[in-house]
Amino acid sequence: MKKSSIAGIVIIALAIGIIISTYADSSTYGSFTDAKESETELHVVGQLNKQKELHYNPQQDANYFAFYMKDNQGKECKVVFNGSKPQDFERSEQIVLTGKMIGNEFHASKILMKCPSKYTKDEVEVTEVSASTAKI
Amino acid sequence: MDIQYIGENLLPGKLGQFFVILSFCTAVLSTIAYFFATRAGLSKDPLINQESASWKRIARLAYSLNLFAVVGIGSCLYYIIYNHLFEYNYAWAHSSKILPVYYIISSFWEGQEGSFWLWMFWQAVLGFVVLRRGKTWENSVMTTIMLSQAFIASMLLGVEIFGFRVGSSPFILLRDAMQGPIFQRGDYLSLVTDGNGLNPLLQNYWMVIHPPTLFLGFASMIVPFAYAIGGLWEKRYSDWIKPAMPWTLFAVMILGTGIIMGSFWAYEALNFGGFWAWDPVENASIIPWLTLIAAVHVMIAYKNTGHSYFTATFLVLISFVLVLYASFLTRSGILGETSVHAFTDLGMFWQLVFYVLVFLFLAIIMLVVRWKELPITRKDEETYSREFWLFIGALVLSIACLQILATTSVPVFNAMFGTEIAPPPNVIQHYNKWQVPFAVVIAFVSAFSQFLKYKNTDAKKFFISISVSLIMSVFITAAAVYVMNVYSNVMYIILTFASVFSILANARILGEAFKGKWKLAGSAIAHIGFALLLVGALVAAATNKVISINNTGIGFGDEFDKNNNPRENIILYKDEPVKMDRYTVTYLGDSTEGVNTYYRINYRVIDEKSGKEKENFTLYPNAQQNAKMRQIIASPDTRHYLFHDVYTHVSSVPLKDEDHEEHEGHSDDENYEKPVTYEVNVGDTVRFREGYILVKGINRNAKVQNIPLGERDIAIGLQLEVNSEGKIFPSEPVYLLKDGSKFDFGKKVDEKGLKLRFTNVFPDKDKLELMVYQKPKAEKDWVVLKAIEFPYINLFWGGTIIMVIGFILSIFRRNKEIK
Repeated sequence: MKKSSIAGIVIIALAIGIIISTYADSSTYGSFTDAKESETELHVVGQLNKQKELHYNPQQDANYFAFYMKDNQGKECKVVFNGSKPQDFERSEQIVLTGKMIGNEFHASKILMKCPSKYTKDEVEVTEVSASTAKI
Repeated sequence: MDIQYIGENLLPGKLGQFFVILSFCTAVLSTIAYFFATRAGLSKDPLINQESASWKRIARLAYSLNLFAVVGIGSCLYYIIYNHLFEYNYAWAHSSKILPVYYIISSFWEGQEGSFWLWMFWQAVLGFVVLRRGKTWENSVMTTIMLSQAFIASMLLGVEIFGFRVGSSPFILLRDAMQGPIFQRGDYLSLVTDGNGLNPLLQNYWMVIHPPTLFLGFASMIVPFAYAIGGLWEKRYSDWIKPAMPWTLFAVMILGTGIIMGSFWAYEALNFGGFWAWDPVENASIIPWLTLIAAVHVMIAYKNTGHSYFTATFLVLISFVLVLYASFLTRSGILGETSVHAFTDLGMFWQLVFYVLVFLFLAIIMLVVRWKELPITRKDEETYSREFWLFIGALVLSIACLQILATTSVPVFNAMFGTEIAPPPNVIQHYNKWQVPFAVVIAFVSAFSQFLKYKNTDAKKFFISISVSLIMSVFITAAAVYVMNVYSNVMYIILTFASVFSILANARILGEAFKGKWKLAGSAIAHIGFALLLVGALVAAATNKVISINNTGIGFGDEFDKNNNPRENIILYKDEPVKMDRYTVTYLGDSTEGVNTYYRINYRVIDEKSGKEKENFTLYPNAQQNAKMRQIIASPDTRHYLFHDVYTHVSSVPLKDEDHEEHEGHSDDENYEKPVTYEVNVGDTVRFREGYILVKGINRNAKVQNIPLGERDIAIGLQLEVNSEGKIFPSEPVYLLKDGSKFDFGKKVDEKGLKLRFTNVFPDKDKLELMVYQKPKAEKDWVVLKAIEFPYINLFWGGTIIMVIGFILSIFRRNKEIK
């Protein structure tokens, strides 16, 4: 067999592996209800409930930030993030949380939020914060 | 009803819009003219052949006008921004009066329109070089370049055609871009006093230089693409490789520099704490870079042996298509929920898709049409030949790209198939799982293939020559993983080994180069740089450690603690040293300069045995405060050592009030908590938060400055002693009865944030009234801080610089070969 054919077969095998891996590693978007049922890590999209208090008191604990979010189905849940309060959090229009439900609290490992750009309405800035530093 | 607007300067906008349209029309004209010039040039009929020259004249004229128009657009836009003409949306949205000149330049390309202009400008400049030096290639290559130019120019048009908006013009007026009642007024401009300014994160000197470099890289990718298309079109299948070679290397070098500059900017100015985050936008720019590097290698293989023709052509073509795909990803808004720094849709989604598809189909159609004539060898490569391993290296790079592409494109798949797949929860782990093994293979191949000859190599000789480097690498790797602390993970050890092997092997080639084979120097240096970059990235990413681990903090219930999450932020009170890893860290205070507040954070390392100070430095992480929006925008500061960096940013700070000064209607007492009133006698003690106050005695001869006492007046001082943390602060508030009215003169003990008032005397009860005011605890300045140590990150930056030097040398070498 030609070596290039072998190379071709290896490529196809790897490509299939990559696609499977992408799919296997991928997560799903869900609601707080889904999170409660599945107990696995997933993404929840929703809005910050600005009526309720945001809890961040660095003098008490600089790594505890809690707030209430409504998911896209309207269900509200307390969210806990162990890190500092992300900059600009109050103005967020939409939040994407990565994390899982523990008890009645959603523990987020990552918060990605969309804020209206400081000034214009038609432009949106997106910022992201992670609870822990990523390592290889 | 028409409104007469006052004070608008409409000329630069009208002129700019004219240039936009001119640039589009001339680009289209030039494309058409170059197309016919090429077609006529290919004709066997001498009569038609002669027409080629006249078509070319038209094409060149159109090109010159295009260049002129592009410069014109830039000048008009710069004039508008520089002169703060806020009647224009672009100036209003991206600049402000307080911006220094060099940031005015960055506000130029903060928006999509400006960055398209930048791309268009570079493409025009590159076109000029091709026009001057392309010789027989000018016609066909310029056809493709000008086609791309026409597409980019269309992105700036901002006109409606058949109800379909084409492009977004940078010269649109604020009153057309925005809706608002103020635009009903003719004098609205007098109300628009300042622009919105540049995003604070972009106010960094790297933002002045990173975008032009990146866009020069993107723009220069068109040239190899155009050569490949030209080669297929004119059936000069093999000829195009040689002249395209320096261009390909140039594109790789510039794009690589641009990407790393972005990475350095992120590291220096953003607070995500790292130099690479596998963000979709970053991925989008690195994919074409890697495919083009792969292309360079197979182009060399083809040039020397005739193998891998299809792979070389395909990779060159796909690289530019991937550049366009990258611009689609970042500019169409499709990344939405997955990326930190993508633009949002300006309504050009389909236009961008169209741009990508046209170039994709152009590449596919050219390949299909010419398929049968392509010089593809049926012969198999020898295992011990350089061309075989160049091919394998290129394949591995391509598969690595495929993996990045697959995950990055998840939002695109979602949009296409209506699925709702979310990206992996731990993105970095997902990528590294794949990319580390790929990096290992690439490092190995880049090492040993240097010892292979084209066609065939004596296997024995080959193994002898690499064995020395291999054995040396084993020892060096053992030492290196121990010193750099990456021995706990097998994959890390293997990657270190592969990189060390690559460095040694290529160093030997470099040694040969010094003996006179100068041609080899470029590739050897570039490979050494690349291997250093890999080690640096590995070590810095794998062993960086957060040193601001918080061990205090009150628990928030068992559920929260159970997770045992890293607590990476620590609170520092002013002047209270905290031990962090081996550092003693003290927050010394802050100072405000313009919009930035700099926090002075002192780091000291004290040798435990001798008590001697080993290191002492102060970092100034800053934060822009915006009290109105109750937010901060923090930028880190980093102490660079040769072998490690200490990186620090504030995560939270007390928000300053807009005005700190007291003004009417506010009394000093507002700075204190509600007072507590005590009835005391001599010898009593009163507690406060940090200690107690002892009533020592009464001073019946108290005096009050500037107030003369009459005969009937009484002034009594209450002698107090504030005891706190082993220190004593005496204080004597005064009670005054003057002309029958009561006054009191409180005293402050600022060190303890106390104010004491002696407010009344109750002779009947034999009690004295003492009011204790205490400042709220938060008044004490604090910062919440995160600090990370990055070991050996200089290998990463240093490797990059070495790699770029290698590219430069290679460009010189390949450029010489053309002649």
